[in-house]
Amino acid sequence: MMSQEEKKIEEQIKDSLPYADQVDWEEVYQRVIYRYSTPHGVQHIKEELERLEDRGELIVHHIKPHNQPVEYQTINGQPKKIPTTRLWHHKSCGQCGHIPGYPTSVFWIMNKLETDYVDEPHQTSCTGWNYHASGASNPVALAGVFARNFWRSYEIDYYPLIHCGTSFGHYKEIRNMLVLHKEIREKLRPIMRKLDMDIVVPEEIVHYSEWMFVKSKEAARERKYDLSSVKAAVHTPCHVYKLVPDDTIYDPSVFQGRRPAAPTGTVINMGAKIVDYSTWWDCCGFGFRHILTEREFTRSFALFKKVIPAVEEGHADVFVTSDTGCVTTLDKSQWAGKAHGLNYNLPVLSDAQFVAMAMGADPYMIGQIHWHATNVEGFLRGIGVPVNEYKEKFNQYLQDLKEGKAESKYLYKPHRKIDYYLTLPDRVQWLKGGK
Amino acid sequence: MSQLKLPPITDDPRFLDMSYEEQGAVEEERRNLDSLPVEERKIAIDYWNEVKSDFRFNEYLRGCLNCGVCTSACPAAKFYDFGPREMIQYMMRDEADKIYEFVNKKVWACVQCYTCSMRCPFNNEIAGLIMVLREYAVKMGLKSAKEILAPYRRILYVVMTTGNQVTPNMIQPETFPDWGPQAVEEATNMDLYRKAVPVDLLQRSDIGWHASLQTAVELMTIMIESGVLDSIKNVDQDLYDMIMDIYDERSQQLREIKEKYEKGELNEDELPDSWLDL
Repeated sequence: MMSQEEKKIEEQIKDSLPYADQVDWEEVYQRVIYRYSTPHGVQHIKEELERLEDRGELIVHHIKPHNQPVEYQTINGQPKKIPTTRLWHHKSCGQCGHIPGYPTSVFWIMNKLETDYVDEPHQTSCTGWNYHASGASNPVALAGVFARNFWRSYEIDYYPLIHCGTSFGHYKEIRNMLVLHKEIREKLRPIMRKLDMDIVVPEEIVHYSEWMFVKSKEAARERKYDLSSVKAAVHTPCHVYKLVPDDTIYDPSVFQGRRPAAPTGTVINMGAKIVDYSTWWDCCGFGFRHILTEREFTRSFALFKKVIPAVEEGHADVFVTSDTGCVTTLDKSQWAGKAHGLNYNLPVLSDAQFVAMAMGADPYMIGQIHWHATNVEGFLRGIGVPVNEYKEKFNQYLQDLKEGKAESKYLYKPHRKIDYYLTLPDRVQWLKGGK
Repeated sequence: MSQLKLPPITDDPRFLDMSYEEQGAVEEERRNLDSLPVEERKIAIDYWNEVKSDFRFNEYLRGCLNCGVCTSACPAAKFYDFGPREMIQYMMRDEADKIYEFVNKKVWACVQCYTCSMRCPFNNEIAGLIMVLREYAVKMGLKSAKEILAPYRRILYVVMTTGNQVTPNMIQPETFPDWGPQAVEEATNMDLYRKAVPVDLLQRSDIGWHASLQTAVELMTIMIESGVLDSIKNVDQDLYDMIMDIYDERSQQLREIKEKYEKGELNEDELPDSWLDL
């Protein structure tokens, strides 16, 4: 029963807010948070995520003790958990397609640091590249791709680690949308049911470069070459820290915590010098559709706004970055500059390749540097890598493969034929148990 | 000396607005829609109403100081006749005609770096608004979307049917000569180079990594059920037909293989190494 006092309060509310009964206060609350916080206030999103989990509206893939998480800070001082093992690789289509040494370096480092992981054929692209390039998608489809991929990692209890910067930024945004918008969840649920799945949202969306930064001191202990004379310019990928900006880790050791921790912190921890340049914050020029069908823009931007400042202002020996599009753009856009006498040829590497090769990974078998257009070989020679020996060995391997004298070598056990067709429940047991 | 005759000043804020061809007070309903060809006026209004009714619109558009910080940091603005400030101003003033003109060309210049969004003092999600504009341009089959996506259709085809956006063999010497001699060498010996990548999923040249058949069919199902294919139909009917045919074929193959596997009747030796070779 309502007390006299409570009734009075109710009446006063009705007097002062005559439309109170018709207002969806949940929506007002969300809009207030949305407007007066950073664009997608992650603290609010996480609170909402917990509430939705309690109500059974979605499944949260939690980071568990067996993922051995460590905690870092985001730009607002909020903690972010980074799982360090038992990881599910959410690969990048552009890395796998055009910079294969990028994912292979990640796998190699994980093998070296004895990290438990699963890489499987049951993942799709995030479709973010396509979306940002063409607009040929919609929120429900994007959320569907998100939930399907994360369902696959959830069902085998390996925590998703996202390789691509765009996938990372894009998934952060999709998570926020799924959490804040019931109508998206309602449209998505029947689609997921059709696939025998439910809506899964990971507790944290984690980029591999964050993992790499967290593990970089451990990696540095295994370093084979001295990097103290290396001057590295870093390009932090836009979608890593400009899309949902308050969900990226920062660290006091990196520009006093005023620029994202990764990949700059990784390069510092590996012992190289960071050189600054005035356009550090600028885009690389990838542009999604531009890199494919309007490259005159991409080439000019990458060269004039990134490579030239890095070399002329910072005197960089190498460009290190942590995303698919940025490695591709910065690496492939330099050659055409020769036509105008702009012969910079600044080597471009992902942080994973940079770390792996400093730890002694084979530059061809693992680093796959022959896919790069810039002078990576020259850079490696400079730090003391016996490039010619590795090259000779690799060329022999290619020849043997061609003539059928050698079998392909693998970083982890190849999948069964049936895994290329069906997604079977025993797949991890088989992969890990060797059945 | 004769007195200089100045035009009368009105209290309409659009007076002397250089974005308008017609200066002075114009009735709300008319705006400058009359600058568009008659057949496009309705499309422009319908398009703008669709965009405004999207759930993201109010969240992403919060206000504007007209400070231009977004445009000063914009990579596309340095090379194209494009600027996010212009777009936000049209949106703030509810200018259906200007938005329509903007979408017909300029909106495709944006490189989606989100620098504008991060810098905006009003916290507008500017790059997100651009995506909303592009999304509806495709959904409503606007001319600009058709033109801009024509050279991009192969990518759309790959992402919709294989579960993967790029293929290594899309780098052909005649289409990517600007990537240098290294890319030409790779393109010439692509199969061999891929075989030397030490991960089995990465050893084909016609797919970035090899997704499973079930995964590819699941992705196609999501795309169809969520209406993406309906949007594609509006810009490229042939592509739509092709993707739907492939979906029928692949889901049929998946059903058969699954059924046989569950009954224990599947002879794996009869299957090719990859479903892409089925």
